[in-house]
Amino acid sequence: MDTEANMTPESEDPDSGDIPADWLAEFEAAARRPLRERFRYAFIKTCEPVMDDEPYRSFDTMADYRAWCEANLPDWLGYGRV
Amino acid sequence: MAVFDYRQAEEIRDAFNKHGVRYLFIGKSGAILLGFPDSTQVAVIYPEKSPENGRAIVAALRELNFEITDSRAGEIERGKDFVQLKNGPFDVDLVFAPDGIERFEGAWRRHVVIDGFHVCHIDDIIGSKEASRRAKDMESLPRLRSFRKYWLLQNHNSP
Repeated sequence: MDTEANMTPESEDPDSGDIPADWLAEFEAAARRPLRERFRYAFIKTCEPVMDDEPYRSFDTMADYRAWCEANLPDWLGYGRV
Repeated sequence: MAVFDYRQAEEIRDAFNKHGVRYLFIGKSGAILLGFPDSTQVAVIYPEKSPENGRAIVAALRELNFEITDSRAGEIERGKDFVQLKNGPFDVDLVFAPDGIERFEGAWRRHVVIDGFHVCHIDDIIGSKEASRRAKDMESLPRLRSFRKYWLLQNHNSP
């Protein structure tokens, strides 16, 4: 991977020991795949009711956007705040 | 609408570079660029909010065949906090003020480059999702936090 990391948080002592084994296996498998291949698995298209109805939307503030999502989108899409 | 694929990602990267756009991938699309194995529907871009950068974004997106009217171009140039584009070859969200990140410059200082893509640091991606408090973000956070541990371990000695 062509990675240029600019920051590692201070007093960070990474330890993979507490990563669930199945997730760790997935992370390691993903790391072995080239980025092009990861894209193929990662980007999908499913229908999102209401959200997909307009080709363009804009909101002055993030609060406006969040409020619009909560007022207009079905709960099961998960855009509502908890 | 076509699924966002690697060729399109290269095109937006190259168009942004050509026009000098200051941007960062954020959200799950950013995490995926870092190596996070998960799925998402949309490329989420965190651009620097400035008229100059807005004009550069409009030029780049028009070049990629997004339908940007003059009125919409004005909104992007002004940097409305959230602009959702589903009128081009793929879906893009422009998030000029992501939750949990105070200033673009701070995120830029921390960002990483993956195959030429400018990507938010994993801590900013997680911080933004925590601050958004959306149900779908809350669900993905435990796995994302585990990925952060893995990612830091892999990149601990990077310059």
